[in-house]
Amino acid sequence: MAFERVLMRNVGVSGSTSLEVYRRSGGYEGAARALRMKPDELVELVKSANLRGRGGAGFPAGVKWSFLPKDRQVTYLCVNADESEPPTFCNRVLIDHDPHMLLEGILIAGYATRTTVAYIYMRGEFTEQFHTLQRALDEAYAAGYFGKNILGSGYDLECYVHRGAGAYVCGEETGLIESLEGKRGWPRIKPPFPAVEGAFHQPTVVNNVETLACLPHILTRGLEWWHSVGTPNSKGPKMFCISGPVNRPGCYEAPLGISCRELIYSPDFGGGMRNGEKVKAVFPGGLSMGVLRGDVFPQRPAGSPIDVTQDYDELDCLLDFDDPRNYDLLGLGTAAAVVVPESADIRDVLVNVARFYAMESCGQCTQCREGTAWMYKIAQRIRAGAGRPVDLDLIVEVTKNMGMMPGLSICGLPDGAAWPLRTLVQKFRREFERHIAAQDPDAPRRRIVRTNPAAYTLPVLQGRAEVMPGGTFYEPENHPELELRA
Amino acid sequence: MPKIIIDGREIECRPGIPVLQAALEAGFDIPHYCYHPGLKIVASCRLCLMEMKMPHPKTQEPVWAPKLVPSCQTPVKDGLEVRFNSDAVRQNQKHVMEYYLLNHPLDCPVCDKAGECYLQDYTEQFGPAASRMVEEKTKNPKKDIGPHTLLYQDRCVLCSRCVRFTEEISGTGELTVVNRGNRGEIDVFPGRPLDNPLQGNVVDLCPVGALLDKDFLFKQRVWLLRSTKSVSPADSRGATIWIDHNDGRIHRIRPRFNEKVNEWWISDEARFGWKYVHAENRLRAPSGRGRGPADPARPLAGRVPLAWEAVPARVRVILGEAAARGGGAGVAAVLSPMMSCEEAWLLASLVRGMAPAATLVPGFVPVVGQDQTFPKGFVIKAEKCPNLRGIETILAHVGGPQATWNEFLGRAAEGAFDAAYVVGGYPDASWVTPAVAAALARIDGCILHDLFPSAAAATAELLLPAASWAEREGTFMNCDGLVQAFERAIPPLEGVKADGQVLHELGGRPGLFRAEAVRAEAAAAVPALGAVFVPRDLPPHAH
Repeated sequence: MAFERVLMRNVGVSGSTSLEVYRRSGGYEGAARALRMKPDELVELVKSANLRGRGGAGFPAGVKWSFLPKDRQVTYLCVNADESEPPTFCNRVLIDHDPHMLLEGILIAGYATRTTVAYIYMRGEFTEQFHTLQRALDEAYAAGYFGKNILGSGYDLECYVHRGAGAYVCGEETGLIESLEGKRGWPRIKPPFPAVEGAFHQPTVVNNVETLACLPHILTRGLEWWHSVGTPNSKGPKMFCISGPVNRPGCYEAPLGISCRELIYSPDFGGGMRNGEKVKAVFPGGLSMGVLRGDVFPQRPAGSPIDVTQDYDELDCLLDFDDPRNYDLLGLGTAAAVVVPESADIRDVLVNVARFYAMESCGQCTQCREGTAWMYKIAQRIRAGAGRPVDLDLIVEVTKNMGMMPGLSICGLPDGAAWPLRTLVQKFRREFERHIAAQDPDAPRRRIVRTNPAAYTLPVLQGRAEVMPGGTFYEPENHPELELRA
Repeated sequence: MPKIIIDGREIECRPGIPVLQAALEAGFDIPHYCYHPGLKIVASCRLCLMEMKMPHPKTQEPVWAPKLVPSCQTPVKDGLEVRFNSDAVRQNQKHVMEYYLLNHPLDCPVCDKAGECYLQDYTEQFGPAASRMVEEKTKNPKKDIGPHTLLYQDRCVLCSRCVRFTEEISGTGELTVVNRGNRGEIDVFPGRPLDNPLQGNVVDLCPVGALLDKDFLFKQRVWLLRSTKSVSPADSRGATIWIDHNDGRIHRIRPRFNEKVNEWWISDEARFGWKYVHAENRLRAPSGRGRGPADPARPLAGRVPLAWEAVPARVRVILGEAAARGGGAGVAAVLSPMMSCEEAWLLASLVRGMAPAATLVPGFVPVVGQDQTFPKGFVIKAEKCPNLRGIETILAHVGGPQATWNEFLGRAAEGAFDAAYVVGGYPDASWVTPAVAAALARIDGCILHDLFPSAAAATAELLLPAASWAEREGTFMNCDGLVQAFERAIPPLEGVKADGQVLHELGGRPGLFRAEAVRAEAAAAVPALGAVFVPRDLPPHAH
């Protein structure tokens, strides 16, 4: 069966943002169907569809809904449209071309979770999209899809569009809720989880735009269709973004589980590299998920298992929720691939990635606040031709000491900072070492003395910082050879 | 009482508290910055992380979980097993301590906090010996954030305690964090300085040298200071405080934890209200009335200096002569609410003993504005004296003729009293209004026991210098009837005797005045005076 675009079916259709055009292609039929069901049946339906969240973590939406307390009076639905992961623009395309699909999804999810008020938390930079969505929402209100007694079902739902002010961390669900409440977007400590106590101290569901946009299609096309798309554990269609020096950068819809190579080289998607260059590296799921080696590296010998410590081409990674983990990636993420060509300097990539997280760390947890800024400084020095081999170990060590997974932070932002930086340094270590070997051997010392004289001139520190291998702290008893001679 | 196991040691703890609090109370030294028992938990410093046993997902057998868990955020639960003495926990502490010092200016030699700084202590105890950062440090600015407080942002660890304090306790919300990431700074809003009546507490709350008190700035190294337990005389609630002093001078006042009254906080009135102790113009010697006319503008001019040895006889003559006339109805004693219970007891017994018909008067009660209540229940009382309830309790027990302050003034102005023992002891002389001065001037044998020269001092037959509360010992009974003891922090000014000692000698008692002995005597008659409340001690490593 040929794959049929559903999420992006209206892209390129004239007037696709209007309710009329949306209805012509079967719009709001899913919602009408949903409103005839019982809310709990809907939750079960979404559970059996195994609709996994499209925002990055891939948590099953139906399971998330079932965490809501049974005896709740008020429920809020927050729609996460704070799409800030570099280089992701799936939600933007969706809202640009088919805002009603999102609104229908909100209606269905709202009904399933017995939500009374839905908030669409929109990235502040989305000005055009805000107006598009607001117009669509006004239209939907006028047509009776929002407000009181929707479609005669007796169900009431209010919906508001709220604009953020431009912070990456506000895409984290509790950061989003704090920001929505008018506070500083600092993620909250969990528990309590939002499903129990979220926005305005009430049970809250936070779902991604694309997750909600899938709902109408599950209802109209049925589970059988849904299960026929994708790989066993990752069902359904997904919007993929590809950017970088490819021939056809953009947003494409495909079933989950296409390979990274296909996304770059298929004439349906990326259309190959510009000027016939080769791929050095690709971040397949937005920056935070980590990096894959490109096809400048040799192919893995046929039949051998995946070994991320070896310099092999990793473009065969399948873009679904599970396969990226085999390549030491954090997950599928936002499925937005950015391609680094062979002509790029890997040190520039490191600086670029490190800068983003140093700028966007919210500053609450120490490891993330200080670690990201420190790594950015190290990356800048490496790029300036004053790197040391110990810096690479140091970056790996810092990345291993931050994040939610080892329990060292409140939210997942530092995991997302650690993964690309660590995989970059580990997978491209030989290139970094080549650069360091080629630079003036005295450069690190000169630069360090200029920027931080204390590292060399203070008697207590004299030169020790330079020789400390990564992974160890300086402790006098462990390093008698470094003791000053009196 | 839940029982939990920390590092293999079983401890019993109060229900509902976080593991960190339980560990601190059991004497474990767990590093922490953002946690404070009086503030909301944010779990952001990530220094108090611990390992915890959790049921294995498959076998349900309790095993050490691979993740570290913030101990400040985990409530105690019966049977919980945690550990801090593991490699993972120690490694994390080392990393975090290294991070804190990455951009810290390491200017301890000029920092007021040095010596009581938890960045110093924890680095020494838990941190690595040297930093591995060779890059240029990020420099954050110094800021003047209010009339009493300076912010050295480069020393800040962004624990956000001060921000939470202004949000939750004072409810004024002046402080906030601006900017993101490691460019984050504490700041005030433009034109809205940190000036709420509780603002000084943010300096105590700051675990490092970021927030500093302008009043104490560069005055003393903290290791030279000695701390004495005291009770604030600033208002009738009687906040418990530490008086930090050195070489006979007070240098600052800090809150002393008290679960019944002020918890961890004090008002700025209590914090900065000690300056009068070292005022230049305090009375320094007893004196008698001179021959010439009194000059209210220069109260001490022409007065005859008196040796302390001559004072008891002189007082007995003044009061005794008046008592002999008309059965003692012409004698009065004014018990100031600035006196301790013990001093009031001595004075009341003395006067009643000499003149049973004497009128006893509770002294002037300074009232400023209205009671101020803050969101979490901290109260600043309008009554700016510490012991009105104590005086009232004693007078109620002693009985006999009594009058209010205003009645006393009225009758004194009519010449009803031949002699009076009037105690002042207020932080300034403003209680002696012209009306008060005129009334007291009508009393021939006026014995005034006060801190400062005033118009009344000019006309007093006998003027005795008083000592401030920091130079005395005793108990105050606060507005809720709670009796709390304060100790002597510094010796009285040269030439001055502590009030208790003076009254002790006037009563002809041998030896030295000891508040405890007098308290025992008073408590035999009025048991309430003996029920001294002692606040719970804070766990040794809490801050």
